[in-house]
Amino acid sequence: MPKSLLIISRQAPWSGPNAREALDIVLAGGAFDLPIGLLFLDDGVFQLTAKQDAKALQQKDLSANLQALPMFGVEDLFVCGDSAAERGLETTGLALEEVQVLSAHDITALIDRYDQVITL
Amino acid sequence: MSTLHVLSHSPFGDDRLTSCLRVIGADDALLLTGDAVYALQPGTVPCTALNARHPTLFVLAEDARARALEIPDTAKAIDYAAFVELSIHYDKVNSWL
Repeated sequence: MPKSLLIISRQAPWSGPNAREALDIVLAGGAFDLPIGLLFLDDGVFQLTAKQDAKALQQKDLSANLQALPMFGVEDLFVCGDSAAERGLETTGLALEEVQVLSAHDITALIDRYDQVITL
Repeated sequence: MSTLHVLSHSPFGDDRLTSCLRVIGADDALLLTGDAVYALQPGTVPCTALNARHPTLFVLAEDARARALEIPDTAKAIDYAAFVELSIHYDKVNSWL
C-alpha cells in the first residue's frame, strides 16, 4: 500500500509557478493511482475563482488542469471555508464543483489522516 | 513632492496595504498590480480599508481581468503604457517590494 500524500496549495494562481506545480504533483500522483488529496488554503482559494482570464497575462489557463483532477482519479479535493470567507469567495459556483468545504478543525483531522504532507 | 505607491502582493498575506494606506499622502496615488488587485474583492477587510482611506487609485486592468475582479468606479483602470506615464507624472515611485 503506497503512502498517502496531501498537497496543500496556498498561493494565488498568477504570481508564480507554485499553484501550477502543486496541481502538477497532484495530477502526476493521480496518474500513478497514489492515494492523494489536495487542499486549497489561504490565497490558494483564489485558484478556484470562476471566470478567470489567463490570456490577459499571456499565461495558460489553470481551469483545464482543475477539471482534469477527477479524470485522473483525484477525488479528495478540499477548500478551507475560513480562507474563502475572508476573501469574499462564495463556496458555491467555484471553478471546481467537486470540492469539499472544510473548517479549521476538519483540516487538523485531514492533515492527521495522511502519511505525508507537502505545502506549496 | 508626490509619490506613486505601487503594490503587487496579495493584501491577505501581509501588511503592505495596511502600511501603505497609513502613510499615503493627499497628493499621492496608489497603483494596484499583480496579486495586490485582490484588495478589490468586495466585502473583504482589505477592500473596506481601501474604501475608508479612498486614495487616488489606479488598477492594472489586465491583472484584474485575469483574476475575474471588477474594477470599481472609485478606481481608474490602466494599461502598461499608462503605468509608464504615471511613473513620470509623479515625482517618485515607491514600489512596495
